[in-house]
Amino acid sequence: MSLSPNETAAILPFAIPAIAACLIPIASLDRDHTSKKWIRVVIFCIALLALGFSFYYTVRLWESGLQPAYGYISMDRLAQFAAFFVFVSAAYTVLQLWDHLRQEDWVKGEILALLLFSSVGMLLFTATSNLILLFLALELFSIPLYVLTATVHARAKALEGGMKYFLTGAVASCCFLMGIVLLYGMTGSFDIKIIGFELAKNNSDPLVLLGAALLLMGFLFKVSAVPFHQWTPDTYEAAPHPIAGFMSVATKGVALIALIRVFASCIAQNANIGNRMQTAMIVLAVLTLVIGNFTALAQTNFKRMLAYSSISHAGYLLLGFIAGTNEAYQAILFYLCSYLLMNLGAFGVLSAFGLIGDNTHFRNIRGLGWKRPGIGIAATICFLSLMGIPPTAGFFGKYLLFKELILQGHISLAIIGVLASLVSVGYYLKPIMAMYMEPSQDNSEPVIAPMSGATVLVSGVLIILLGLLPGSLLSGLARPSIQEGLITAVDTVTVTIE
Amino acid sequence: MNHCMSTHILTFLVFAPLFWGLLLLALPNRLALLTKYLAFIGSLGIFVIAALRLIPMLDSGSILFSERAPLFTLLNIPIDYHLSLDGLNIWLILLTTFLVPISIAGTWNSIKERPGSFFALFTILESCILGAFLANDLFLFYIFWEAMLIPMYFMIGVWGGAERKYAANKFIIFTLAGSLLWLVALLYLATQAGSFSPEIMAQTAMNLPFSKQCWLYLAFALAFAIKIPLFPLHTWLPDAHTEAPTAGSAILAGVLLKLGGYGFLRFAIPILPAAALHYAKPLAILAVVAIIYGALVAMVQQDIKKLVAYSSVSHMGFVMLGIASFTLIGTQGAMLQMLNHGISTGALFLLVGMVYDRAHTRMIVDFGGIASKMPIFTFFFIIVTLSSIGLPLTNGFIGEFLILNGTFVSGFTWGRVAAIVSVSGVLLGAIYMLWMVKRVFWGPENQEPKSGTAHLTSDLNIREIAVMTPLVILIFWMGLHHVTFTGASEEKINRMLDDIQAPPARTLLLNAPDQAQHGAQ
Repeated sequence: MSLSPNETAAILPFAIPAIAACLIPIASLDRDHTSKKWIRVVIFCIALLALGFSFYYTVRLWESGLQPAYGYISMDRLAQFAAFFVFVSAAYTVLQLWDHLRQEDWVKGEILALLLFSSVGMLLFTATSNLILLFLALELFSIPLYVLTATVHARAKALEGGMKYFLTGAVASCCFLMGIVLLYGMTGSFDIKIIGFELAKNNSDPLVLLGAALLLMGFLFKVSAVPFHQWTPDTYEAAPHPIAGFMSVATKGVALIALIRVFASCIAQNANIGNRMQTAMIVLAVLTLVIGNFTALAQTNFKRMLAYSSISHAGYLLLGFIAGTNEAYQAILFYLCSYLLMNLGAFGVLSAFGLIGDNTHFRNIRGLGWKRPGIGIAATICFLSLMGIPPTAGFFGKYLLFKELILQGHISLAIIGVLASLVSVGYYLKPIMAMYMEPSQDNSEPVIAPMSGATVLVSGVLIILLGLLPGSLLSGLARPSIQEGLITAVDTVTVTIE
Repeated sequence: MNHCMSTHILTFLVFAPLFWGLLLLALPNRLALLTKYLAFIGSLGIFVIAALRLIPMLDSGSILFSERAPLFTLLNIPIDYHLSLDGLNIWLILLTTFLVPISIAGTWNSIKERPGSFFALFTILESCILGAFLANDLFLFYIFWEAMLIPMYFMIGVWGGAERKYAANKFIIFTLAGSLLWLVALLYLATQAGSFSPEIMAQTAMNLPFSKQCWLYLAFALAFAIKIPLFPLHTWLPDAHTEAPTAGSAILAGVLLKLGGYGFLRFAIPILPAAALHYAKPLAILAVVAIIYGALVAMVQQDIKKLVAYSSVSHMGFVMLGIASFTLIGTQGAMLQMLNHGISTGALFLLVGMVYDRAHTRMIVDFGGIASKMPIFTFFFIIVTLSSIGLPLTNGFIGEFLILNGTFVSGFTWGRVAAIVSVSGVLLGAIYMLWMVKRVFWGPENQEPKSGTAHLTSDLNIREIAVMTPLVILIFWMGLHHVTFTGASEEKINRMLDDIQAPPARTLLLNAPDQAQHGAQ
């Protein structure tokens, strides 16, 4: 079998990390590898190089303007955006794992292999319009994450968290699969564009509605929207810090990007179903905002607070679906970019300050802002951005979402949204207070974690840059992703018929 | 005139302190003394440049500078980088640039821990305040308005008193509550108008149904009323003022609160004039309540700083009353009162800070008979007190007189009642200030070895005298020749009132227009 250049271009971004993921376990076969630094360096370098090379390759694809396809895989602009998103998150995670695994004294190469497999699955999840492949991709990125959650068993709750994630994840997968079955049964196709075309013609059958609802549930579980959120805090708490950050950003991000694709080109094609889904999303978004924010307010554990806060961010992102315009989808992509920076920065603080085991309470970071001024300032910028205070990227993300929401007439939702972010100020100030306004517990020198520290610093700088120049990201990346990447069903099917 | 330079003076004013502050922030802690000197020299330089460039503009009638450039377009709504300087903000700009070096010099030794970072943040704060005063695009204004919370939050939270964390959180959450709801209103107007320019927004707002206008105005008013702060939204202020370090209190009272009043005059009223007129009465009632309530609560305070903080509530109530009167005199009085309050309350906080640095207490009962121990300090304190009370010849008198006059002659039916009731606020002001002065300064010396008086071993030094002298000069200058300070804003306010079609001022008892003209001459 020979591949045309176009087909090669479509699968290369998947192939590189996948091959690297196969190489890493070979490199770390030596059972005694924890003592050998050079092996550690090699496996981390393989992972980073693979991610970097795929990233670079996708950049070239983006610049050339090509949208290559291979079978059901199509690396269109939206998938290319997702590739940037996933590879950057994964690179952040790899860098933070470098410090974190050493701090936990549990360095194993497999963890990187799983991470890379998961990244490939995530990318596939956003790059296909075939529901079967979508399901396979979902499993491909979920199963490594179940394992990764339970991976550091020195942590007391690691197994419990991994098990919880696995069981609830299995239920979500079942819903997802059942939704696919129903949609296939009613329309006779796995291709979301054709399904969308069929849906647009028919009035809604209750079974189609059920199928769409089940599919949506599968997505919302991955987005960790209320009421499908219960796994989130326990799982994040159990997982290694960088993996928790990766789950909170990348899983949520790709689920939303794939949802944009499915929602816009399939479900929303039928006005009736689209409206019902929108109504459901209004309820869920409000619940997510309220419950996510108020439960986060009650946390004393820094890491759990971040977990609940990531639930609340799912609520803001869902608001974008309620607005449902192309501009709103662009706003979601912008928000995701800012969310990537600020949330991975915030989770990076955990490894950068060397918090190991369950010592992730606010009291564990007391006074560290003064001891490590660079990381302290960058972390503060991340938290301010999570609150949505200008001039940070997080503010512009919220601004764009609320603007689209108001333009579509959902003023009350916008008010709920801003009040929710007012509540969020209450808990994002806690780590800032702990870092700067409370005396440190002891005079010991803080842990040096160069890679994690660097990720936090980069986040801080990029958040400010993005806050000063939001227009460039929006017009350069988010707009082409949506306008060229998101081809709705009617367009393509018309083309095919011609 | 060098045209090129003149068009960038505003950008310079906004961003020079920011870059200076960031530079200072990067200096290590062991260079704290150098940082302090650099912060002082930098802010003094900015004041000198501002004064040299802006004061000549005062005579030129309608002014002034404007800088405009498209910044970016986000999802079809363009956002402009638009700064402008006119009669409404020129004195507030000068006040801000003036108070910053004064506060730094006035609290030179008060900050013991990490003074370098504190003064770096202080300089950054100046940049945000100047940006908010100069911004003529609502998006830009919003960014500066929110951004200034960050340095202020750290100043209160890190360097404040015992309850500093509580005070800092309360400050930031109160302010954000108002501004986030306001953001929704702002976004609604912007999506309707397709722009953040106040002029275009005003035109769009005119065509909206009146009930919508009212909602929008309420959102605007909420954000600004919290900042002023208007009763019953004032509760963050006593905590923030009391817990903040001296320089923070001085700049908070001196400048930050003014942004509320300025916001009404610059944005809320011109954009939504009909609704502003509709809600004049409730705002005036709240203002009167604030005047009386603030004064009554100030009277029973044990802590001098808290007393001054509550007196701010009362004084800023006057500002709100003047704005709500919709007369030229009243509004000009409000403008003047904002400057007055900036000078005299800023000075009071600095003075309280000076005595606190020596005695390490601010409780009134800990003092008594300071006058004999610190005569120079007493001299300055009494002058500032008299200014705060509103004694004729001082600035306080002119401001309150103009406001009461404006309210009394305003076309509203409630005007006279409001003016008459508010006069008692002046009286109460005299009572609480003089009573405090009596207990702290006069009488026999407090002989207890642990009392505050016992710790007062030195009078004001040269530095402190040098800080207070310009403030005292300004107090008398504003009292004797207020036209210097009100002349600039007259035209702007007149135009604003014309657009609003406020009920014409009555001319029965006091010949209001004549007096206004007289004032302008």
